[in-house]
Amino acid sequence: MAYHSGYGVHGSKHRTRAAPNPPPLFDDTSGGYSSQLGGYPAPGADVAFNVNNLLGDPVANMAMAYGSSIASQGKDIVHKELHRFVSINKLKYFFAVDTAYVAKKLGLLVFPYTHQNWKVQYSHDVPLPPRKDLNAPDLYIPTMAFITYVLLAGMALGIQQRFSPEVLGLCASTALVWVLMEVLALLLGLYLATVRSELGTFHLLAYSGYKYVGMILSVLTGLLFGSDGYYVALAWTSSALMYFTVRSLRTAASGPDSMGGPTPRQHLQLYLTLGAAAFQPLIIYWLTFHLVR
Amino acid sequence: MSGFDNLNSGFYQTSYSIDEQSQQSYDYGGSGGPYSKQYAGCEYSQQGRFVPPDMMQPQQTYTGQIYQPTQAYPPPTPQTFYGDSFEEEPPLLEELGINFDHIWQKTLTVLHPLRASDGSIMNETDLAGPVVFCLAFGATLLLAGKIQFGYVYGISAIGCLGMFCLLNLMSMTGVSFGCVASVLGYCLLPMILLSSFAVVFSLQGMVGILLTATIIGWCSFSASKIFISALAMDGQQLLVAYPCALLYGVFALISVF
Repeated sequence: MAYHSGYGVHGSKHRTRAAPNPPPLFDDTSGGYSSQLGGYPAPGADVAFNVNNLLGDPVANMAMAYGSSIASQGKDIVHKELHRFVSINKLKYFFAVDTAYVAKKLGLLVFPYTHQNWKVQYSHDVPLPPRKDLNAPDLYIPTMAFITYVLLAGMALGIQQRFSPEVLGLCASTALVWVLMEVLALLLGLYLATVRSELGTFHLLAYSGYKYVGMILSVLTGLLFGSDGYYVALAWTSSALMYFTVRSLRTAASGPDSMGGPTPRQHLQLYLTLGAAAFQPLIIYWLTFHLVR
Repeated sequence: MSGFDNLNSGFYQTSYSIDEQSQQSYDYGGSGGPYSKQYAGCEYSQQGRFVPPDMMQPQQTYTGQIYQPTQAYPPPTPQTFYGDSFEEEPPLLEELGINFDHIWQKTLTVLHPLRASDGSIMNETDLAGPVVFCLAFGATLLLAGKIQFGYVYGISAIGCLGMFCLLNLMSMTGVSFGCVASVLGYCLLPMILLSSFAVVFSLQGMVGILLTATIIGWCSFSASKIFISALAMDGQQLLVAYPCALLYGVFALISVF
């Protein structure tokens, strides 16, 4: 009886004490812990983000600075070396061509006999660019003719079942060596003859490169009409090229010395010009006879 | 027995007064301090009377309340952070710089010689297409029994370098090497058709020569059209087309013979 009564009192006491307990305990504890938990990952994320920024930006900036400095140094070196040997603007003069000039020049190379005025025209002591003066030499036609000759050689050898990619390199090297030898010989001759003229290295390169147009015509005619056609075309292109070379070189070489009568120097110039012109057919034949059956 | 009853009555009165005090403190503001004190006092009195059950119940309640926020709070934050980082990343192809739509448009521009070329697309230089076409050309030559990969690479490099020099000398505005290599590489596509024909047929007759000339004209016309539009070289398309024809002529020479 006494025990039972005590248990009832205990239950009542517990119920009355439980009423005020839950709300403040729950609110306070969860609030505090929530703030701590919220604070823990956020600083971690910020730290990671800051670390990414710190690692990314300096490395990227350093790489960009290093790359740009290397590029600018390389560019400066290339420009310096180029300007030492070649003047880009001077080369651009020889490549300032248009379609009309190329067509007329090719016609002149094939049939030069009716052309009257062979003097290079000037504008305020500066020679006119090729697109405005038919007599001005250019490097576009020699370059294209040279590569066309190599291509045509490959095709001719292919038709004769003798083609391989090596022969292209061989033909290109042989032709290039011949051009360089001719230019050096002309420079040596001009130097020995003490001729003062406007002829520079690029001028001589252009005039010696025009022979490839004749080579192309000879080889094409040989492929189409056989050996007889080749020799006819060879004779025609050789005579046309000799005439063209004599008129062009003589006019260019005797520009500043046009005043006064004939002198031993002018005779020497004439012999040099004739020698250069006579040398053209030999080179044309040497570089093309093995391409025609 | 009567003495015991009297003792119980006294205990009841004591607990009632304690409850009143706790209620008053709660009404004030519910700060932790007073409540803790009250709780301690209550515990002390209980210990004097009934120690085991009173001690156990408060501990259980306190522990349970602590666990609930821990389980509920942490999961969302990492997921949100990871999701944001993943969704903001650009596509893989965009990061690698490969744009298949532009590659396709360039290919169509090459295959349709009379289609007007868009200068802005062609100025974007990429070397993925040219490399693929170069390899395809070498592969078709391989099918025809010719192992010429070295010559294809060498002629490509020399051709691009030569065209780069020529175009810079002929045009007032400059051009980058990448642009030249890209245009010449894309225009190599019709040449692959020629070498594919060479696998099955022999191109050394008159029909082969005509087909070769047609395809070389196709390649060089497309390339010169793109160069003219990119470099503003009016009236010089024929002069630009001819060196392109020479370059593709060398490739044709390797295909035919």
